Amino acid sequence: MKKLLIAASLALLAGTVAASADVLDKIKEKGVLTVGVKADYKPFGFRDPSGAIVGIEPDLAADVAKRLGVKLELVPVVSANRIEFLQQGKIDLMIATMSDKPERRKVVLAIDPPYYSDAVNILLSKKVKNVTKWEDLKGKVLCGTSGAWYNKDVSTKYGAEVKAFDGSEKPLFALKGGECIGYLYDQTFVQGKLLDAEWNTDFAMPLPGVMEAPWILAVAPGEDKFAKFMTDTTIDWMKTGFVVNEEKKWGIEPTDYSKRMHEEHKKGS
Amino acid sequence: MIRDTSAPAAPAHPLPVLLPFRLTAPQRRFPPLRLTLLHALGIVGLGLLIAGGAHAQAGVNQLSAFGVIIKWFPLLMSGFLFNILISVLSMALGTVAGVGLGLASISLSTPLRRIAWGLTQFFRNAPWLVLLFFAMFMIPFEFRIFGVTIPFPDWVKAVIGFALPVMANMSEIVRGAVGSLPSGQWEAAESLAFSRRQTMWMIILPQCLKRMLPPWMNLYTLVTMATVQASIVGVTEMLTLIAQVHAAEGGRPDLLAPLYGFAMLCFFIYCYPIELWTRRLERRFHLHQ
Repeated sequence: MKKLLIAASLALLAGTVAASADVLDKIKEKGVLTVGVKADYKPFGFRDPSGAIVGIEPDLAADVAKRLGVKLELVPVVSANRIEFLQQGKIDLMIATMSDKPERRKVVLAIDPPYYSDAVNILLSKKVKNVTKWEDLKGKVLCGTSGAWYNKDVSTKYGAEVKAFDGSEKPLFALKGGECIGYLYDQTFVQGKLLDAEWNTDFAMPLPGVMEAPWILAVAPGEDKFAKFMTDTTIDWMKTGFVVNEEKKWGIEPTDYSKRMHEEHKKGS
Repeated sequence: MIRDTSAPAAPAHPLPVLLPFRLTAPQRRFPPLRLTLLHALGIVGLGLLIAGGAHAQAGVNQLSAFGVIIKWFPLLMSGFLFNILISVLSMALGTVAGVGLGLASISLSTPLRRIAWGLTQFFRNAPWLVLLFFAMFMIPFEFRIFGVTIPFPDWVKAVIGFALPVMANMSEIVRGAVGSLPSGQWEAAESLAFSRRQTMWMIILPQCLKRMLPPWMNLYTLVTMATVQASIVGVTEMLTLIAQVHAAEGGRPDLLAPLYGFAMLCFFIYCYPIELWTRRLERRFHLHQ
């Protein structure tokens, strides 16, 4: 036990020394880029029956590895451990559906511009015909998840009534039961639901997303060289429309943000 | 006196025989084996029923719960094998360390005995999950010694995390088994001029093996079932994969019960025979009679 503790503390020391080396050199030396991605967020990162992690974010990671000329290793992360893994150096890069928040920017090095953006949208029943823009929702009843910050904004701005339920299963159940005409929630979640036959036969997402919430790539603090490389890569993705193509490839409607960034950067080049 | 012998009737009063005292109701000799099959069939049947119900509920183009499990079977099984690997390795590591600790706790040296007692009590009375968290977050993900990087993946840390409570419990098993041997064994050995070490290794411990085996196997099934806790700290074992499979299948609520039920069935099929075997060994070694 004592030996173990001594070994552990020694290794901790060694670990801190190793972390100060430039991560780009480390990646090239090892020949492997380690990227933390989600494995439970369809279609951004999920498992296929062979056990491999696939989806939009693994594809982005593969593209980064290709640009660096190294092999790719994917590490499944969850929201609770992704930042810690990055700080420890267990992953070199995080592409894991992380929303841009000021407190997160303090502990990791965020890459600008944001590579993707979630938004607020509605999983709307196909029976509802006369809703083509958000203003048409005036006086209509929507289901929502209690605690979502946009519930109030949507009701004051567009005049819809939002019935809030706990979690995401209960409002969906209420929606199926006809208690409301649509479910107000994160656009990425709505798009994920629409990949399944259970939902896409009777429901759709006809409105554009509102109130964008950007997602950021992140590297460990102090890795400015790698951050610069990732910024250039992100801008190149926007220029070539890589993200838009990925969204189409995995069966979701390209977001306004992706399309807009593609248009902007295409012009710039 | 003439007795009517045509009908050998039972005596009106049973003879006053002192029957052996039984703590529980009499059991058939090997009832569990037959029950295993029945149990397993029952659980599978229940699973199918749930799956069938889910299928009736599900719309077109949707896999039934049973179909989902078949589709993901190889992946889920690889996760389950991983659970077994973690349990076997942590049991091996914990047993070796635990035997050492157990012997230290009956040593003649007072400081050594006190240290061993302290370690045993500490790790025996700490929640397993807390020990697992400690192992996860205290041990770095790679060691760098003399320029050589030794990776230390999560599952190795989990093995260490589970080995700690195994070690403490094993220490108590060893101490208890040694203490339970009649002191005549020690005295006889001493009269034959065996040293303490010789007595321990050649006379006491071989006799203890029989006594230690059943509780050791019991401990093993407990460790196996505890390995799912590794999912909480991010090891990709069966329970983690179940959650990810659920997400990959679109998070359908009707899949939750069949998927987790499947995990339960796997653990039951693996652990129950061990449990049976343990009981049979106990009976054979006459530990309960």
